Parts: sequence; C-alpha cells; structure tokens
Amino acid sequence: MRKTTRKFLAVTAGVASIALLASACSSDSGDGDKPSGSSSASAPSDEKVTLKVATFNEFGYADLYEEYMKLHPNVTIVNDKADTSDNARAAVQNSIATNTVVDDIVAADSDWMPELIASSDFFADLGSDTVKDRWPAWKSQLSTTADGKLIGYGTDSGPEAVCYRKDLFKKAGLPTDRAEVSKLLEGSWDNYFTQGQKFMDAKTGAAWFDSIGALSQGMINQLEAPFEDPSTDEITVLGADSKAKPVYDLLTSDKVLGQSAHLGQWSQDWTDAFKGDKWATMLCPPWMTQIIAGNAPDQTEWDVADALPGGASNWGGSFLLVPEGGKNVEAAKQLADWLTDPKQAAAVFVKYGNFPSQTAATTDPSVTGKTDAYFGGAPTGQIFSNRFAPIEKQPYRGSHYFPINQALSDAYTRVDVDKTDDSASSWKKFEQAVKDLS
Amino acid sequence: MTSTRTPAAPGPTASDERDRQQRRVGFSQKLGRWDVKLSPYLYISPFFILFVVVGLFPLLYTGVVSVHQWDLLKGKGDFVGFENFSTVLQAPIFWKSVRNTISIFLLSSIPQVILALVIAALLDANLRAKTFWRMGVLVPYVVAPVAVSLIFGQMFADQSGIINQILRNLGFTGIGWHSEVLPSHIAIASMVNFRWTGYNTLIFLAAMQAIPRDLYEAALIDGANRVRQFFSITIPMLRPTIIFVIITSTIGGLQIFDEPRMFDQFGRGGADQQYLTVTNYIYQLGWTNKNFGRAAAVAWLLFLLILAISVVNYLITRRIASEGGAKQKKRKKVSA
Repeated sequence: MRKTTRKFLAVTAGVASIALLASACSSDSGDGDKPSGSSSASAPSDEKVTLKVATFNEFGYADLYEEYMKLHPNVTIVNDKADTSDNARAAVQNSIATNTVVDDIVAADSDWMPELIASSDFFADLGSDTVKDRWPAWKSQLSTTADGKLIGYGTDSGPEAVCYRKDLFKKAGLPTDRAEVSKLLEGSWDNYFTQGQKFMDAKTGAAWFDSIGALSQGMINQLEAPFEDPSTDEITVLGADSKAKPVYDLLTSDKVLGQSAHLGQWSQDWTDAFKGDKWATMLCPPWMTQIIAGNAPDQTEWDVADALPGGASNWGGSFLLVPEGGKNVEAAKQLADWLTDPKQAAAVFVKYGNFPSQTAATTDPSVTGKTDAYFGGAPTGQIFSNRFAPIEKQPYRGSHYFPINQALSDAYTRVDVDKTDDSASSWKKFEQAVKDLS
Repeated sequence: MTSTRTPAAPGPTASDERDRQQRRVGFSQKLGRWDVKLSPYLYISPFFILFVVVGLFPLLYTGVVSVHQWDLLKGKGDFVGFENFSTVLQAPIFWKSVRNTISIFLLSSIPQVILALVIAALLDANLRAKTFWRMGVLVPYVVAPVAVSLIFGQMFADQSGIINQILRNLGFTGIGWHSEVLPSHIAIASMVNFRWTGYNTLIFLAAMQAIPRDLYEAALIDGANRVRQFFSITIPMLRPTIIFVIITSTIGGLQIFDEPRMFDQFGRGGADQQYLTVTNYIYQLGWTNKNFGRAAAVAWLLFLLILAISVVNYLITRRIASEGGAKQKKRKKVSA
C-alpha cells in the first residue's frame, strides 16, 4: 500500500518537475521585460564587471581589450564574435524581438542601422559632450534618431577609391603611374566607362571591372534617396522618377555589360579569379584592400588610385551600440566610448587596416603616414584620408533598404552573372520582389 | 489492483502512522485503482507534455501569427484574416520555392533509396574486412552538413569548380551549376545523397541480415541467380524497412534547408530563386523582410504540403504492405 502511495508521489513529483521545466521555459520571455526596468543602476568604477562585446568579421579590438582591462582592473571583457555578419544581424534582431539583452555592447553594420533606429528604445542614449564632434555629420546621422538620440558610436568607415592592376593597364596602353591613373579615373561614371571601352578595345583578355553589382554599390551610395522617400519612408524605387532605375539602365546597357568580368562579388568564382588576370579595376574601400591582398597574396601589380568616378562616397562601416536593458550600461558606455576614441581608432587602422570614421583620426599622422607594401608601397593612409574628407552625405536608408538592396543585387546577378534574364525582364522580377515587401 | 496486493516493503515508519493507514484502507484502495487507471498515462505524459509545449503550441501560435500583420521587431499588428495566405499564394516566388523543394526532394530521395539498397546488398555479401566497408559508408554522415555544402559549393563553382574543369577537359561545355535551375537542383541533391546514402545503407543492411538465410538456400536449390534472389527475396522481405526509409527521407527532403542555404555566399537561393526551398523562403520572409505574418503563412502551407504528401505515402504504404503480406504468405507456402 505504501509502495503505491510512494509511486503515486513519485509520479506526481515527476509531473510537477516537468511543469516546473515548462514554466521555467516560459519565464524566460518574462525575464525580458525585467532589464529595461533595472537599467539605471550604474556600476561604481571599482565594482567587478564582465562586459560582453558582440562583434563580427574583424574589428581589431584584441589588443585594445587587453589595454582596457589593464587600465580598469575591475573590468573583464568577453568577445562574443559571430561567424558571419548576417548571423550577427539576426542575433541583434532576435534580442530586440524578444527584448532580451545578451551582450553589453553590440556591433552593427551601417546597413542595419535603419532597422535599429526603428527600435531605438532598445538602445541606450550615448550622446555626450566628449563624442559630440567625434564623427562627421553623415556618419553620426546614421546612428541618430529623428528626435536626436545617438544610439551608436561609429567605428570604421569605407571611403571608396579605385584599385587597379598596373600590368593590365600597361598592356592596354593606359598610364600606370598612380597620379596619372587618379586623374584618368576622376570625373563622371561616363568617363569611367569610356576609359573602360579603351581598355576593352586593346583586347588584353581581361575585363574592366568584376561585376556590375559591385559598381552599383558605389553608384547607389552616391544617390541621396535611392529607394525610399526620406520624408515618408515610402518605397519610390519603382515609380516613374525612380532614382535607382537610371543607374540600373546604365549598368545593364550592352556597352557596360561588355566591360564586365561577369563574376558575382563574394562568389567562389570571384574569390578564385583574383589569382588570374580577370579584371583591371575595382571599387576599393579600405576594407577591400585587405580582401584583395588576402585573395591574391602573390600578385604584386595591384595599386590604389586616389579617385572615385561620380564623386566621393562611403561604402560600409560599423557602429557600437549599448542595449538599454543591460546589467552594466554605464560601464559598457565607457568601454564603447574608449574603443571608438580617435586615438584607439588610429591604432586599429595602423595594425588591422580598418579605416577610422572619427574626423580627428583620419588626419592623425600615424594614419596618413601608413603605406601598404602590397599595393606597391601606396600611401593608403593618405589616399583614404583624401577620399574621406570630401564625403558629405550618405544615401537615405529607410526601413526597406536592406531587402530592396538585396533584390536589386539579385537583379544584377541575373543579367550579369547568371545571364538568365535581359535587362527588362530582370527589372520586372525586381519589381515583383519589391511589391512583395509591402 | 495487482500492485495493492503485493506486500509493502518494510520501511522506517512510526507505528502510529501504520495505524492510520489501516484505518484508511478505503482510501488506499481508491489510490490503487487510480494507480492502475492513471499510471500508464502519467508514464507517457512527459512526452506529450513536452510535445504540447514545444510542438503543438508553436504550431497553433504560428497559426495565430499567420492571420496578423506581424513585424519581427515591432511585434503584433492588425488582424488581417487570410490576407497573408492569399498574398503568398499569388507570389511567384512561393511557387518557385515549392517547385524547387519537390524537385530537389525527388532528385535526392529516389536515387538515394536505390543506391542505398544496392550498396547494402553488396555489403551483405561475404566481403573481406566487412566492418571496414560498413563503417566506411557511414563516414559522409559524420561530416557536418555545412562543411559538405562548402566543399560541394567549391566543386560545383560555375567557372573555377573542379567538376566544370573536368567537363571542359573532356570537351564538353561547362554547366551552370549555380545559375541554371535543374543543374543547381542536381548539385544540391548530390550533397544530400552524399550525406544520407550511407546512413540508409546501414538501415537496409541491418534489415537484410535479419532475412532468414534458408530462403536464399532454397532459392539457390531452385536455381535462382543472385539478381533473381535480390528481387524476389531481398526486396520483398525489406518492404517495411523501405517504407520507413521513404517516410523519413520524405520528411527530411521537404524540410531541406542547410544545403541550399550554404550553396552560395548569400544563402538566398540564387538570384532568380533557382534553388530557393520553402524553408529558405520562410527564413527569408521572417528574417530578411521581417514579415513574420507572411513567414508563418508559408510555414502553415508547408505543413499542409507535408501532410498531403504523407497521406499519399500512407496510401501507397498500405498497398505495398498488403501486397507484401500476400507475397509473404505465398512464399511461406513455397518454402514449406
């Protein structure tokens, strides 16, 4: 009899523990609401804190973490690096969607900033007097909400130059000297494609550029409002006065397509093609120089021209954000502030090549004095500093920017790389994809 | 009731408590009856409770999400009825993803089952170093799917890939493994086959070893050769196993995600959605476009698709099973 009772109790206990388990699961989502309440508790400077920093790719912070932990013995920094930037974006979105804070500092690419601005309540206000004029207006605008709240500290930037192959230029009878090439490529995109035609007519066997998708990135970044209306956030890219359509028409014209190597950027074929002589020029933000050097370590003929057709422009760059609901918001702010200080940013550029976005850092002698042996000893620091100074604006990126940009890149791939569509039919599919968004 | 009759195990209980229990005979009998009636359900309840929490609830909640406007970050919006479903059903991308999923499923499952059967039959023969060969077929299964995708993605690269280089050396033109529809499906199906054929082979092999050897001896005496033995004894005896393998590979095949996602650098199923599968489409709607309502609608449509194919499977299965039974009876008569 007692056995029965005991068994019954055991079963009940089992059921209860499962119920507990279930409620433990559900209380997770309840936890999410909590942090936003307890945010204002600022950590005293000598209290032990552990700060988790979520990054992706290479931010170049390893040495800086060590230095900061030496300066602040109470702080332990844990680097929480995502495998790809897409997964980092998904992680940030998940934590916003579930209102849970995993990392004290979150890195974000400038392409995601519109989405994060839309959920700016999730992030702490980082504005202060020390950071007021740290960045040019176009950079800090990307992380500032409509009512003036700064939610992200700018890290690196991507002032674009043009990388070119000296040997292929020589073969085609074009100048090879850096200053002369800079003069040759400066000006309009039409001029760039005219030079491209000269290069193609010389029949070197190489193409003028890698793919029209890559050029589009540069050209779209020179528009003020490529896809959406800045005042209403409405999608304008399909309308009669679409700003992106002329760019699309130019790039998918027979003349321009004839100068393409038809290799989709980031594809396996593209990466492998660096070993051969497939194209002569490519758009080159500072971070691209690292990719070229990594993909073709034995190539000695790459050089950087201090020019960009169509005017100075920025491609890429990141931010550090601090979620409002974290346990150590004040300590995290301090760290993010310190990491994005011009002095630290200059040090990152010298060692890793991530070009700073902090105005003072871009003219720092250690930055402008940097040369790159891989690019024939080109003064890359000075060149990118020159490319950075005239940048005045970034295109407006509304809440649909990311998927529209992806759909546009697919449209270019269909025409240029896969060759499954012509210009008109590929644009039709793009229209459909954009319509599916709303 | 039986358990109440078994003597209670002696335990360190106070005597007054024993008195109390004797007074409560009626209650403990009642407990006993409950025990018999309820215990079986309680014992299997952990599975069902977990199923309700992690299976049924998400399923139903997905249904709720699918009839609302639902942004990933902003959360629940207006109730829109079946608008998400009708938009999705009118979107050409959805139908493309259904086409791709079924095509990749057929290209992977059919060759896979046939190959696995043949390899299993070979391994069932008297080989030297049996264990080596048997473990050998399982090696691809151990490799992580993402690693498989990366390696196959390089092999199938349109210009620099080794497969196209071999084709060109043989005088053929290269095939657009990424850019064209059917070749991309074949490439992705080959990854699936690479990974799962060995696994299914071992299942078949285990089933083959359970076939009584005297059937083969009898067939041998009747003068049947190896091929005849394979089709007249091995295959009929394997029917239940074949059904099991077909059902598991159907479920896996319709939910294929990793391989097409890792097949190129963007994971969006190609510029023209050549190899976008339904699960990839759900991911894209939910995480790229942040439209959870529509993603939930597609998830439900996928559920219905799997359900429909499962019903077809079930009907075919029943036919095969009854046929198998009839043949088994016949064979018994013969061998008796």
